[in-house]
Amino acid sequence: MATIPQFLTRHQAPAGTQAPAERLDDRQSERDPFELRALPFEDVYFRPKKMDNSRLIREADPRAGGACWTVIGAACLMLAFLGGVLAPSVANTVAGYKLESLRVEAQKLADERRTLELQEARLLSPERLDRLAQGRHLVSPSASQVVHLDNTGESKVAMVRR
Amino acid sequence: MIERRLIWLAGIVLVWGAAIFSKLVALQVVHHQEYVKKARARQEEVVRLRAQRGAILDRTGHPLAMSVPTESVSVDPIKVPSLQVDSDLLAHELHLDPAEVFQRIRAAYDSHRGFLWVKRGITPQEAGDVRGLKYDWIHVDDGSERHYPNNMLAAHVLGGVDFEEKGNGGIEKALDGELHGTPGSADILTDVHHRGIFELVSTQARAGLSVILTIDEQLQFVAEREIAASVKQHEAASGSVVVMNPYNGEILALASYPPFDPNQPPENENDVAARSNHAVSVPFEPGSCFKVITLSAALETTKLRPDSPINCHGGVLTGLPGKRVIHDSHGGLGIIPMAMVLAHSSNVGAIEVGRTVGREKMYEYMRRFGFGDRTGIPLPGESKGRVRPLAKWGSTSLESVSMGQEVSVTTLQLARAVSVVANGGLLVKPRLIVKLGDRTPPVEPPVRAIKPETAITMRQMMEGVVLVGTGRSTRLDGYTSGGKTGTAQIFDFATRHYTHTYNGSFMGFAPVTNPAVVVVVTVNGTHGMEGFGASAAGPVFKAVIAEALRILDVPKDLPDNPPANTQIAQNQKDQSLDDVSIADLGSGQPNILEDSDDDEPAAPRTQAFVGPTAPPAPAPVAGTVPNFKGMTLRAVLREAEAKGLPVQPDGSGVARIQNPPPGAVLHQGERIRVQFTR
Repeated sequence: MATIPQFLTRHQAPAGTQAPAERLDDRQSERDPFELRALPFEDVYFRPKKMDNSRLIREADPRAGGACWTVIGAACLMLAFLGGVLAPSVANTVAGYKLESLRVEAQKLADERRTLELQEARLLSPERLDRLAQGRHLVSPSASQVVHLDNTGESKVAMVRR
Repeated sequence: MIERRLIWLAGIVLVWGAAIFSKLVALQVVHHQEYVKKARARQEEVVRLRAQRGAILDRTGHPLAMSVPTESVSVDPIKVPSLQVDSDLLAHELHLDPAEVFQRIRAAYDSHRGFLWVKRGITPQEAGDVRGLKYDWIHVDDGSERHYPNNMLAAHVLGGVDFEEKGNGGIEKALDGELHGTPGSADILTDVHHRGIFELVSTQARAGLSVILTIDEQLQFVAEREIAASVKQHEAASGSVVVMNPYNGEILALASYPPFDPNQPPENENDVAARSNHAVSVPFEPGSCFKVITLSAALETTKLRPDSPINCHGGVLTGLPGKRVIHDSHGGLGIIPMAMVLAHSSNVGAIEVGRTVGREKMYEYMRRFGFGDRTGIPLPGESKGRVRPLAKWGSTSLESVSMGQEVSVTTLQLARAVSVVANGGLLVKPRLIVKLGDRTPPVEPPVRAIKPETAITMRQMMEGVVLVGTGRSTRLDGYTSGGKTGTAQIFDFATRHYTHTYNGSFMGFAPVTNPAVVVVVTVNGTHGMEGFGASAAGPVFKAVIAEALRILDVPKDLPDNPPANTQIAQNQKDQSLDDVSIADLGSGQPNILEDSDDDEPAAPRTQAFVGPTAPPAPAPVAGTVPNFKGMTLRAVLREAEAKGLPVQPDGSGVARIQNPPPGAVLHQGERIRVQFTR
């Protein structure tokens, strides 16, 4: 059966063989019933042939293991290299997600805080406090009910504290 | 043959590779920018970073105005698939009237408008519900809304903002540039679900500056409460109160009635009129309050002194050009000390003093006290009042001005003027801002208006108004005080006559020796005797200044009144007073050009103590005031101690001036003030 290597060297006649042209003529005269139809402008004929490779023992290639490990190592190195190249970008993206979500949360908390400050201001408004005080019968102290504890008493000049 | 095929194969592979490479070059080099742009258009969003409008705080740090973030819903009417169905759906989510929403969207659709606000200031729940619909024709926009948590408190000072948060009055308008802030922008890289991956701030947002005002929230509330009560009680048209620190010009309260709520936009003309700041923008004729300026000018430019005799001509002044006649509301005043002219608010006496001063000096001192000029307060629409140029004064202008006519002033200008007396003679600039952001605005140095000794003398004379004059009802418990009442008839420009409605005023300070606070109250459009300054404005002054002294923690300089556990019965009947300033307004209508004075027709309430352990009624008279003039401090104190009289000395050297004057009757609780100079 013709194989590819043989196809490449088929033009080189082995030693002691007939000339290719003569061989060709001989082949054509003996038509094999298993011979497939020739492709146009081709002088390559493919013949299926059953081959018994049961007795074929594949020899262990001592260098194959090393070659495999070399390839695996190279692939791992390549992967590690790629990972090293891509990892910062991925980490950047993940960190970006985190940062954005934290930023949104911070903004939301700041907004909530302002809303709460507004509520607090409303609850502490003088009008509301006055209304509550009146409801509990509380009044502002009159001047006679205010005692200045650190008043020197005999001071002739009323100093302004504030 | 084989080589030829190989060559062909190699050639094909080469061409194929070259095509791929050239495509790569075309994509990544030639069209690089174009594809980057497309990628950015899909992946990047430009987000507007909102700038928070600065808050406005009172001097204690309580917020008076602040912005909170809010979300609003807008739609693109052109993209709405089904107007009726989608309007109902949106109205349901936003708790609006479906019919109204449909009409609005329909109208916008018919007008080919691509944008329509549906609802502003939605709740977070509503925002979440609307976002959950995920319709591309609905947008939820971030924004900001201004809130005034104290509603009407200090509304005229704060002003308001429009729907774009741009100031349209008060401090909001005056400092809009500083409060506004500058929005920024950021580019956000998003994924396929529009979640942000990376943010690049291209322009940093700059929040607006916060403003700390000089206003005290509690004092402002009291001032607004009291002026509202007085205006309603006297059925007046408007009113205003200014509380000021006389030394640094800080305005502790500035109230104007009628008020308005800056949280609500104006709905009608009345609302717009209510936004006028009567303390700053509406000038009026001050009436007898202006006599303080007349007497100050007299002390500085003439030889008149508090005990100089002034002829009040029995309360009637004739012989004026144009046959004008000036009356004192309380007739019968003859020759009285100048201090009593102020205490009893004699128009005739003030005119005599003004004539002694003269036109030029009178005008000069009017300008020295700041009248005719704006105070420079950072509020829009401030009026400078009206002071006629000297060249335009008429034949009776000096007389009119001496008693507070033919001049118009604002309440704030009066506060500044009385501060000159209170602080020792310096004209200060009223201030409203303590801090703008983190910087303190520079304080303008005061200008000397009158001499310190003149100011001290005026203080004592104004104390006389409160002790024995027309301002008796404003006497404070525990503190000495000085003031001046004023009642001016309102001029009707349509009929060119003075009407019988009044501007009742009271301006004063406390304590007398070292005034801590100045308060000026004006009630506009009062009627009858109860509408005079002492009756309409006096009680407001008393309540506000008492609260101010308490808040400022000013030490007392007088003994307290009897304890509150004794029942106090107030005598409502008229009682004759020890002084002669009894008004008798029943003797006919005052002259149309007359400044109807602010005397007290009825005695103020006297207090009788009634209770289970009522102490005996205090003796009304403590003694007669001796003459300390020319005596040293030691001698004065020795004599006062021997006679059991309370004395309050001021200064050092030899006694020059005393109040009450020698020979006067000293009432219980009063002190003799003696001014010593070298």
